[in-house]
Amino acid sequence: MAVCAAIVGKDNSPKFFCCINPDEELTFQYKVLSSLDIIEEKLNPASKSASEMRELYLGQLYSLETCKIYGYVTNTKIKFIIVVDSTNMALRDNEIRSMFRKIHSEYADMVSNPFYIPGEPITSKSFDSSIKNIITGTV
Amino acid sequence: MNGNLEQGSLNQLGIDRRPIVTCAGELEVFSAIEENLAHSLPKDACEWKRSLGRPIRNVHIGANFIPFSAVSLPKSGQWDLIRQPLFHTYWTECSDVDVYKSTIREDIENWIKELNSRETSDWLIVVVENYDGKKSKQLIPRTTVLDKIRNDFALKQGDRCISVINPGKVENKTAESWRGLVGRIRHLLLVAYAKAVTRLEDHVRQQRERRNEPGWHFMNYFMLQEELAQVLEMLGLNDEALVQYDELDALFSQFVANFTTCDNLKWLCQFQRPLERWHGLKLTPSLLEDNPSLLELRAYIFSKQAQMLLLTKKVWEMASRCIPFLHTCVREISILEITAPPGAIWCWLFLAIMEVLQICDKFNQADQVEEYSLHTASLWEYASQKIRKLGELCGLMPQGVPTSEQLHIVVSLSAGMGDNPGPINHPSPTDRLKEALCSQDVFIKTYLELAELAMGTFKHVGRLRMARLVGQEVASFYLLLGETQKAAAFLGDAVRTFENDGWHELAGQTQLSLADCHKRANDTRKYIKACAAVSAALEIDTLIRWTYFDEMTKYLEKLDKPLDVPLNNILKINSIHILNDLIMMQDCNMEVELLVESNFPKEILCTYVGISLDKEEKKKPNFRYCSGKLLTKKDLKWQDPFLQRLKIKKTLDYKQDKQLATSGIACKFTQLQRKDSAPAYSKTDFNTALEVEKLPLLLTPGINVIRLIRKATDVGKYCIESVAIHIKKLRFVSQQLNARLTIEVKEESPSIRLYKRAAPLLSGIEQIMNLILTIGSYQIEPKSQIKLTASPGLTFQIEPDQPMTNYLEIDVGDKATFSSTKMPLRVLADLLTKDHQVTIHVPWNPKPIVVSLSFSSPMSTTWRLFTVNNRKLVQVNVVGHCLDSLIVQDPQLKIKDIPVSAIHCDSSLIISNGLSYSFLWQLGHTNISSNSTKAEFNVQYKLSEDDIYKTYQYYFDITDFKTLYIMDAVVEPSKGNEFCRVGVVCHLHLTMTNVMPPGGEDDANEELRSVMYEVLAEQSVWAVCGRTAGVVGFASASDTEGSVQQVVMDVMPLTSGFLPLPLVRLSKYIPAESISGNKADTHPRLEPFHSGQVYNKSKGKQVHVIAATTDGIPT
Repeated sequence: MAVCAAIVGKDNSPKFFCCINPDEELTFQYKVLSSLDIIEEKLNPASKSASEMRELYLGQLYSLETCKIYGYVTNTKIKFIIVVDSTNMALRDNEIRSMFRKIHSEYADMVSNPFYIPGEPITSKSFDSSIKNIITGTV
Repeated sequence: MNGNLEQGSLNQLGIDRRPIVTCAGELEVFSAIEENLAHSLPKDACEWKRSLGRPIRNVHIGANFIPFSAVSLPKSGQWDLIRQPLFHTYWTECSDVDVYKSTIREDIENWIKELNSRETSDWLIVVVENYDGKKSKQLIPRTTVLDKIRNDFALKQGDRCISVINPGKVENKTAESWRGLVGRIRHLLLVAYAKAVTRLEDHVRQQRERRNEPGWHFMNYFMLQEELAQVLEMLGLNDEALVQYDELDALFSQFVANFTTCDNLKWLCQFQRPLERWHGLKLTPSLLEDNPSLLELRAYIFSKQAQMLLLTKKVWEMASRCIPFLHTCVREISILEITAPPGAIWCWLFLAIMEVLQICDKFNQADQVEEYSLHTASLWEYASQKIRKLGELCGLMPQGVPTSEQLHIVVSLSAGMGDNPGPINHPSPTDRLKEALCSQDVFIKTYLELAELAMGTFKHVGRLRMARLVGQEVASFYLLLGETQKAAAFLGDAVRTFENDGWHELAGQTQLSLADCHKRANDTRKYIKACAAVSAALEIDTLIRWTYFDEMTKYLEKLDKPLDVPLNNILKINSIHILNDLIMMQDCNMEVELLVESNFPKEILCTYVGISLDKEEKKKPNFRYCSGKLLTKKDLKWQDPFLQRLKIKKTLDYKQDKQLATSGIACKFTQLQRKDSAPAYSKTDFNTALEVEKLPLLLTPGINVIRLIRKATDVGKYCIESVAIHIKKLRFVSQQLNARLTIEVKEESPSIRLYKRAAPLLSGIEQIMNLILTIGSYQIEPKSQIKLTASPGLTFQIEPDQPMTNYLEIDVGDKATFSSTKMPLRVLADLLTKDHQVTIHVPWNPKPIVVSLSFSSPMSTTWRLFTVNNRKLVQVNVVGHCLDSLIVQDPQLKIKDIPVSAIHCDSSLIISNGLSYSFLWQLGHTNISSNSTKAEFNVQYKLSEDDIYKTYQYYFDITDFKTLYIMDAVVEPSKGNEFCRVGVVCHLHLTMTNVMPPGGEDDANEELRSVMYEVLAEQSVWAVCGRTAGVVGFASASDTEGSVQQVVMDVMPLTSGFLPLPLVRLSKYIPAESISGNKADTHPRLEPFHSGQVYNKSKGKQVHVIAATTDGIPT
């Protein structure tokens, strides 16, 4: 389904990055990084109404020839970003939303782990595999 | 206005969607006003009410007039009514009712019959009146031709007949009737047209439902729905026209998306033929080619959408739709597997983008630019990417030379673009692309221009990260051009942005490019910096890091000047720990433990490690101060003020009457400091830094513990400021630590104190006090002097054999720090003086120290006068106050004019502390004229045997010492009784004798003549019966008869035993209004006698009282 997922902290530094194809990781990092610009725009309170503020899902951030990038922001300004191959036209908005919700709940579990220091990069292997399962749609 | 514009654009293409209106009757009448009518109709808006709850819109409707012909009338059930005559008019000029009746009525009848046979009810009969004013008015109503027509044909539909005054003549009435006609036609026409549009919409819907049936063809459907779009466009409803095009767009996208999975989309195959033309979008009004290619169809739809958006003034939306549209096209080409020559699609994309950008460029109002810049930025970027790809394809990249094959590609690409010349000086996108593909220089210029525009626009809209990514691309291009400096600038910016966001892997990768860039530029210093950064980037492959580490060490040898490099992530400070106390004494060692994490892949040999200290006069407001001794990684981390928790406190405002007026929360937001992009490192001064003692120091990869030491020479508060680690000439310097740890270095100043010993200070005796000098944390100049000044009457000396003085200078001498010296100071205060002070001037403090001293006398003296009849005795009582015993000898009492004889005076004795000793003298006589005399007591004393005797003197006055009265009292049992018995009244005989020397001063005093006696009996012992007091008067002493007075009183003992007599007190009795009293005293008063004036003989007398007889126990 998706090809890449990233979790970016409130300070905009990457906390977790996973790619279905590891060779593409660097190019996706550039793309995810640049999508932060749009997330910042969307989070700018001046441009939003109250109901939009409550919506965590930011929708499609931007699209490239090869891929589309979607964003989701928690109330604590943790950003989840999913990159979808643009040839994958079967993926619907609702499915992306549900992917984000699953990632959010995985992340919440992760942060609850007493051995994880909030703000540090996430290195847990089980977290990595569950995120991979979510984005490949095997969950 | 929109309607007019639109009709213009449709007209340009020869498309006329205006409704067709037929004219019948007297055509020459109509033709005279046709032009005027066609012009007037679309001028004003008309309300268009629609079914299905769609909103009422104001539309502009025009018309196309044709002569009536029965053949051209639409048949029933036809869907394309829009292209058929749908409104019918009949024109007549006839004003004569008779003529009407004879000819015209029949003509209209036939016309109506024809229309009714086609089920058309949209018609209007117009009677044109040539109103010349002279004509006689119709006297009888309902007799005009119009009335007749209305009567005959439109009894129930009055609005279907209208008369109009020939507008050829200019008159007020004419204009009014003309407006009525135009309005009526507009309204009726719209009613008819609306029916036709509804029919068309239904048809479109039906056709769409059939889209999955075999034989359905998209292009046919497309034409149909476009007709609807054009109708809406004609009416000026551009937004609704846009919806039609959007529906077509979405429908087509759906078909293509399903192409591979659905079988019944055979018709899409017509789009699968190889691409031959890539002409761009043609955003100007144009017609769709027959049998269009996919790109042509797509371009046409987008161009129509763009036109509609521009007409609704939504430039930004057009720009925003462009990128997704282009991506869709690219994707659809690949889905449909359309083959195209290499680069052809890139050309098309480039042309499309440039066309859109060109249109945007025309709308250059500030707010419009602001709106669309967000979207044009990525268009510029996309364009620059595409032209770069084309450049690579055609061998136009710097340092390349196109091969003949590549030249051939250029030719064929240019041919496929077609011709689209722009006006002079404004080359069309096609012109620009062709030019760029023909010349390397133009290509380079074009690419850089586009990329710069992309970056500039991204920065303008605040998308810095995207700008940096374009910058990276541009840097790689500049590298090809050999312009390493420009490339390095872009790469450096990118690294900074990535680091700021904490994307270390990207930063590391970019550092790699930056290192190579510097190497090519032969910039050793920057190359070393970049190498250091790369070798310390944990995200990069270890082998690469080793290579760059070796490069760094190699190039370090070539450095001629020191090179400052920020510490950043190369060497991380994990913690700084102060080992000594936070408040320390001068000249002690400051010790700090530094935990450094080296990210270098190998060991490094440090030639210097230091932590600079910042002397701090006062607290700096922008810094975070840490209490305690430890700075951890968390403290050192730069904290984004926008991510910090706000310190919110409540605020309550009260009204004057203490009632709550408002309550709220407030937050002071002061942390608006900027994160410096390039902090200054040069400011830090390492001259006073804490340093490592043993150098060189080996730093291993990972965590290293380093201990740094410095002697605190100067007093003050110091903050740990920054850390420096040098590897030969490569100097790693941290920026100022944002959390501040403070060490305070203190000095202790010397002090001097004057202490007395435990005993109180005594005047008149030389005593020892202690002068204590304490040297503090620093030395005092040995030759400087301490000066002591005494108040008058006080002398001292520090040297044992020097005379006492009241000014003293003492050398400080060579004393060690923190040493204390005790100097005995001999002090002597004059006898009879009490309070003194010593002023000490010290060399280290200009302010003198004042020590107050309080002395007391070595002994104290009291005296008493005793009387026995006329003899007088003086007792002097001496109490010693000296801690050591005083040796006293030779007490003497001298009384003026009266000789004394010692009765009890030891010539020499020792008085211990607190003990008293009495001396007694008897006065030789009292025969002196005055009532008082001066006495002087003196005694010799010394503290120890070795001392010489000093004289102690005590002066006092003796007053009223002469005896005036002698009083005696006797208690006798009542007559017949031998003893006094309890409960039996006895007699108290009181005898008072005046013994004043006759003719003396006292004798003359009348006040002394009256004496009051009072019996002050102990109430439990004696009961006085009757008066207890009385007044007796005495005559002058010379009169011996009156010199003795006797009083007898009855007293009763209340208890048995050897009882003291009741006490009797004599007082001076001064009667009221006595002569001597100047004041008019209304009451008599009593005044006590002085102690020596009355001698009470009976004092100490006792009487035996035996128990009462009723007890039965005789005694």
